[in-house]
Amino acid sequence: MIRRGCVYFLAIAAGFVLQAGTALAHPHVWVKVASEIVYNEDGSIEGIRHAWTFDDMFSTYSLQGIHTKIDGVYTREELAPLAQTNISSLKDTDYFTFAEADGKEQKLADPIDYYFEYNNEALVLHFVLPLKTPFKPRQLMLEIFDPDYFIQFSLQEKEPIKLVGAPAACTMTIQSPTDEESTEKLRGQNSSGDANNSFGAAFADKIKVDCP
Amino acid sequence: MRLPSFKTILTVSAILLTAAAIDSLTHVLMAQNPFGGSSRSALEPQLSGVVGWLLRKQSAFYREISSTIRAAKTDGSAVWSLLAISFLYGIFHAAGPGHGKAVISSYLIANGETARRGIILSFVSAFLQSLVAVIIVGVGAWLLNVTAKSMCGAERVVEIASYGFIAIFGARLAWTKGWPLIHALRVSRASTVTPTPAFAYASLEGDAAADHGQTYSRFRSHAAMPRNEGRLQEQIHRLTRDPPHIHDEHCGHSHGPQPGDLAGPGGWQRGIGAILTVGVRPCSGALLVLVFALAQGLFWAGIAATFVMGLGTAITVATIAILSVYAKTTAVRLMTRRNAGSALLSRGLEFAAASLVLLFGVGLLFGYVAAERVTCF
Repeated sequence: MIRRGCVYFLAIAAGFVLQAGTALAHPHVWVKVASEIVYNEDGSIEGIRHAWTFDDMFSTYSLQGIHTKIDGVYTREELAPLAQTNISSLKDTDYFTFAEADGKEQKLADPIDYYFEYNNEALVLHFVLPLKTPFKPRQLMLEIFDPDYFIQFSLQEKEPIKLVGAPAACTMTIQSPTDEESTEKLRGQNSSGDANNSFGAAFADKIKVDCP
Repeated sequence: MRLPSFKTILTVSAILLTAAAIDSLTHVLMAQNPFGGSSRSALEPQLSGVVGWLLRKQSAFYREISSTIRAAKTDGSAVWSLLAISFLYGIFHAAGPGHGKAVISSYLIANGETARRGIILSFVSAFLQSLVAVIIVGVGAWLLNVTAKSMCGAERVVEIASYGFIAIFGARLAWTKGWPLIHALRVSRASTVTPTPAFAYASLEGDAAADHGQTYSRFRSHAAMPRNEGRLQEQIHRLTRDPPHIHDEHCGHSHGPQPGDLAGPGGWQRGIGAILTVGVRPCSGALLVLVFALAQGLFWAGIAATFVMGLGTAITVATIAILSVYAKTTAVRLMTRRNAGSALLSRGLEFAAASLVLLFGVGLLFGYVAAERVTCF
């Protein structure tokens, strides 16, 4: 009987822990990523050009109450205020874009050339993230994810990442974590508090570009 | 001498529970800050499998909702699948994130409420939660046709208010439960020095009072009893003659949870705080579904889906609520059988649970103010 009492206690404790682990960690928004890594003439990376397609539910939600000249047709101009608000709130989350050059984290500047496009009942957010200082790494690591996992980013099936103007010798590999790897990563997480240790990071695809 | 080891186990469990609760609080806090990062180290290996599974199920059901709403435009029977999916989504969703369960469970433990009341609280608060979502979208999107941005503003106000409610509710609960704890501490300290029948009586009485979900003022009258000498003699006499569980009408105990208590005087008002704190904040998923359904010209289907989702949520929350009530009463009953000092454990648990509600409220409030959610642009 005593043992049973303790078991119940532990069950509650476990319940709280389980709750903690999943706190806010279930995606409500889905984004299909298509991005370009843009190089300049001397082979350094200048920036990253994103085209993110939002899921239909979130797209509809975002378009709620936006008036247009023609019903169901949203021009770039009509969507400009929406793009502005989205881009400014993305700043708080570092645009969900994490770049590492030869193991060193790279700083991204404020986005340029941003706009929304409405295609097949989905919103596509276009924007360019210039690097604070263009660099020429032997290896670039790029990850796009929401640490809180409120938004689930996944790479689009066909040619999700393009290298634009990259030196011919550069090769790209994309690694998607398996369920086991994600679980493993969640298990090994510590409380260092950086994005790499977040819930969302465990599910992120790793884009690697090697330029020997 | 199994008693000390039992006590040790219980203490360890209580510490674990508190640690886990604080941990979950920090998660909520951290998760509010997009780049605060979160220490998910508390995830036990065997749990992460469950978490992953829950996540996949939730995502799958949630994604299905939009496609079935689309399908329902041309095929009316798709509404049935929409409702079924929404129901399952509600069940799984509530098993995952959210402070609702934590608040309801903590409230039930703190106030010594019955499982039956826990079920009712879960259902009513889930219903209210659905209703608030429908009202926000109904008024905002359908009647006024405002933008998502303004609707989000409304959601934010409601959210902050709800976190404030939790904090106030928790503070009141902690205040109410703090005094009995202090009394129990005094009693237990005194009884270890001179274990007189009077003290033994006080602690037994105190325990019974809390078990029946009575408030501080009632408890205080019990605790004050031993000071009344004449009455004390009478009580000791009664105590030695009768088993301690029999009370006279002065005690005013209703023994055990009577179904009538729930609807009886003061029955509903007692739970209204818990219902409001949990139910007033809508789930952002429900808002998305409602706006989407409205845009597809199937607002009614979205409303139905929202309420069915709430029903699913209520089932999960009620299950967790029952579990916590059962866990507490079992532990306290087992302790009572062995040791009259269990009053201390009981008071301690109640106070801890009450403080947890307060911490949750304050934490959510701070976390929310510190960071902005990305969907709420």
